[in-house]
Amino acid sequence: MRAKSSLIIALVLTLPSFVFAANAKVKIGFVNSITGPEAPIGESLTNGVTLAIEDLKKQGIDVDLIKEDDTGKPEKSMAAFEKLATSDHVGGVVGPYPSKCAAALAKLAEKYHVPIIIPVASKDDITRQGLQWTFRLSATTNDYATILLDMATAFGKPKTIAIINENTDFGTSGAKSAKEYAAKKHLTVVAEEAYAPGSPDYRSTLASIKGKNPDLVFMVSYVADAILLMRQSREIGLTPKAFLGAGAGFATEAFAKEQDISNNVFSSTQWTQDVKWPGTKEFAARYKAQFGKEASYHASTAYESMVIMGQTLAKAKDNPARAKDLLDKGSWNGIMGVVKFADYAGYTNQNNHQMLVEQIQNGQRVTVYPPAYVSGKKAVYPFPGWTK
Amino acid sequence: MPSPSFIRRKWITSAGGKRVIPLLLLASGVALLALIPLSVQSTYALHIMILTFVSIIMGSAWNILGGYTGQYSVGHAAYFGVGAYTTMILLQFRHIAPWYGMWAGVGATIVTALIIGSICFRLRGPYFVLASIAVAEIFRVTALNLKDLTNGAEGILVTELPPLKFGDTVITDFTTKVPFFYTGLITALFVIFVTRGVQHSKLGYYFQAIREDQDAAHSLGINPALYKNIALVISAVFTSVAGSLYAVYVGFIDPGTVFSLDVSVQIVTIAIIGGIGTILGPVIGAIVLVTLSEALRSNALTNALIHAGLVNADSRVGVFLKENLSHAHILIYGILVVIVILFMPQGLLGFARRIVTRKRKG
Amino acid sequence: MSIFVQSLISGILIGGVYALIGIGLTIIFGVMRVINFAHGDLLMLGMYATYFLFTQFHIDPFVSIVITMPLMFLYGAFLQRFFINRVLDALPQNQILLTIGLGLIMSNTVMLAFTSDYKILSTRYSSSSVSLHGISISLPLLVSFAITTVITIALYWFLLKTDTGQAIRATAQDREAARLMGINVKRMSIIAFGLGSALAATAGALISPTYYIFPQVGSSFTLKAFVITVLGGMGSVIGATLGGILIGVAESIGGVYFGSGWKEVVVFVLFLLVLLFRPSGLLGKSRT
Repeated sequence: MRAKSSLIIALVLTLPSFVFAANAKVKIGFVNSITGPEAPIGESLTNGVTLAIEDLKKQGIDVDLIKEDDTGKPEKSMAAFEKLATSDHVGGVVGPYPSKCAAALAKLAEKYHVPIIIPVASKDDITRQGLQWTFRLSATTNDYATILLDMATAFGKPKTIAIINENTDFGTSGAKSAKEYAAKKHLTVVAEEAYAPGSPDYRSTLASIKGKNPDLVFMVSYVADAILLMRQSREIGLTPKAFLGAGAGFATEAFAKEQDISNNVFSSTQWTQDVKWPGTKEFAARYKAQFGKEASYHASTAYESMVIMGQTLAKAKDNPARAKDLLDKGSWNGIMGVVKFADYAGYTNQNNHQMLVEQIQNGQRVTVYPPAYVSGKKAVYPFPGWTK
Repeated sequence: MPSPSFIRRKWITSAGGKRVIPLLLLASGVALLALIPLSVQSTYALHIMILTFVSIIMGSAWNILGGYTGQYSVGHAAYFGVGAYTTMILLQFRHIAPWYGMWAGVGATIVTALIIGSICFRLRGPYFVLASIAVAEIFRVTALNLKDLTNGAEGILVTELPPLKFGDTVITDFTTKVPFFYTGLITALFVIFVTRGVQHSKLGYYFQAIREDQDAAHSLGINPALYKNIALVISAVFTSVAGSLYAVYVGFIDPGTVFSLDVSVQIVTIAIIGGIGTILGPVIGAIVLVTLSEALRSNALTNALIHAGLVNADSRVGVFLKENLSHAHILIYGILVVIVILFMPQGLLGFARRIVTRKRKG
Repeated sequence: MSIFVQSLISGILIGGVYALIGIGLTIIFGVMRVINFAHGDLLMLGMYATYFLFTQFHIDPFVSIVITMPLMFLYGAFLQRFFINRVLDALPQNQILLTIGLGLIMSNTVMLAFTSDYKILSTRYSSSSVSLHGISISLPLLVSFAITTVITIALYWFLLKTDTGQAIRATAQDREAARLMGINVKRMSIIAFGLGSALAATAGALISPTYYIFPQVGSSFTLKAFVITVLGGMGSVIGATLGGILIGVAESIGGVYFGSGWKEVVVFVLFLLVLLFRPSGLLGKSRT
């Protein structure tokens, strides 16, 4: 009897704190490329975060979000982080997009003991420095290449590969991973072309690649050049067994819409709209309704990062150190599948995210690999040729 | 017998007096600056100051070539980048501490500057401007493509910085911003000091003679090629040091960050906005531009309005300002640059001086 | 061999568009002695005008030039009248910084209006080509090359045969002498900047069906325009035409034989060599 009443008293006492927790207020910094060359992708991140803030509010977590522009430059992102950590006293930070900014902020997070979740910057080194306060949700650059070659060798028996990449950090490291992994898969690299983005004419390069007749054409480009390269491949009549695009520009709505040139192109991606992860479909529909565009993996990773940061900080009562421990130990299952920040293969606090491959089929982006995540339509392989 | 007031005036305007008062002011100013890290707790403020020092070094360095000698290089990114890359390559791949690497950077920059000088100084006016841009672009593309040396577009990320030791005592392990603050401060003061030295020396007169009329200078027996190269080397060396400092402080460089035309333009902007051909012009330019662009970036104006209670954060105006000003900061920056060029062609310092003299006359 | 011919042809076709950009810059420089760092941004405005007319009124990009050209002429004239004219006697670096500032204003205003998203202008013929003996020729590039040729010829005629054209050339040759001869130099400057910006915008319109559009697209074209004008001789219209085609071909062939990464170096080294050994450019009159 006595035990029972004390239990009730304990329950009554804890009740208000429950109510209090339900109305938690947290302060989160969001460093993003609002202006500058990375701004188009920055906008996707902003939209994803906007939806996350709405959902957190529904869960009873009010986020005081402080947005900071990094203009795509590391020293500006540092200024933003310094301000967030020392004058706004945020509990945690989400962002930024460019890898060079993320690399700079990872060190600051360590210095100021403010946890940072990096949604989608993919440079491998960022989480390979043993930093304890940096958490990355997305898979790394290396994974963009390996999943595609895994798929290509599972679908057929390609022998040769041509690698075309943009001469940027993401492009170069993506190409490097592809080259290394191609050797493991016994593929001969017949051409390597690193191009400077922004040139209106890649025809001569593509013509020389066509002359080498590769089975696979592997490309790393952002959206504009992805469309340009495919348009000019069509003009030249380059027809390999498969066009493989390493995420970025190839996994966008703008690219998919160009049906003449995007049909049957494969792309690795962090997320697709038809993948069987909880909440994916609803997220995609809401995003489309609210912003009039299709959600990209940049948006979904930003959304999930913000949700995780919000929930964690609410649990940690906005205390950065406690939040760090919770991020370390926690596990989430949302639109990005299961998220766990783990230490493995030289990584620290890196989510071992499952990459996917999508194929564009008549303007639709369909998940085609790995088999466990396929939701219906089958992959078209080999490339059936250009429609006239 | 001269009256006391005359003596006083003479004392103030005499060569000795000219030095004493500014020197006192300078010394107290420097002392105040040097005390900042002890009293200012905000590392955010320190960060902005470090960036300001780097900008002062860059702007003043350009000023020696552009302001005094009249060679309007829009390719100083080449020297900034060579300094940054040499230091970072030695640090990350050869484990040579940056305070040695920086000197290697200076050496590499001198060689680079002499080569570039031998090419570009054969040209004048707009041709020189365009050639300097082209050279910097060649450096950028080369850094992108020489992957074995520079790690290409992936850039160089510093994973660890060795502590600075004197014997066995660790002077600093670089966990705070203070060492960067002092390095920046000392270098910035040094470059200002050098500029002053140049201005008041024969060298400075030669430089300015070349700026005013190269052919006339030549006929007076001044060797333009020699003195242009001297100005370039001084200018390049400090730009290189600024590059090294920036690189080690930020901890990451890639060809687009240190070799791009943006960097060159930024350097020129600092000097011109402040006022070229003066000792303090680039200093003022750097302070104004760094603070201004950070204030615009962080939307300080909106926050200040909200703080002051003039605008409600949730009202329509507040939301509009919050959303749009953060997108528009480069636009505002552009408008300010245009206004300064149109209405203050001598830069901020020149403008201030003109107002002062006009007031005195009026 | 077929790769060589393929590169040569696509280089020449792209070079035609480069030539237009270069001609615009060279006219501005010739008349005002101002290096226009906002030239690429004028091209960008031309692209957005084309995009806007195409998506809102369904006007074909090649047809919309008729609207874009006069519009951008007026805009260029406005810039000259209210901004550039005021710094004509200022130090060259102030002129440079002014055009840089104007460029920043243009690109960032466009960013606020259209967001920084990449815009792709897809026409039916965006990736169509004609095949000749195994060499494919891009149809839209072919059309744009034809239009470039017509515009260039019209421009020559204007500069050589009309009074205004001759006055512009006289101003370019010697500003002071032209003034003394009773030529309204200010007016010529306004026309020259108008022409330059109209040509840049036309180039933007011509490549928009095969290229992409975003607010910062101009910067790489500004650099290219510099190279072209110096190559041809600053102020020389024929030189800029040849320079444009030369750069187009150098990029295209350099891309095949030196690798895409180095093709820019090829272009800039070519540029430096010309600057060193023929600073007046391939066709410019020697000027010290």
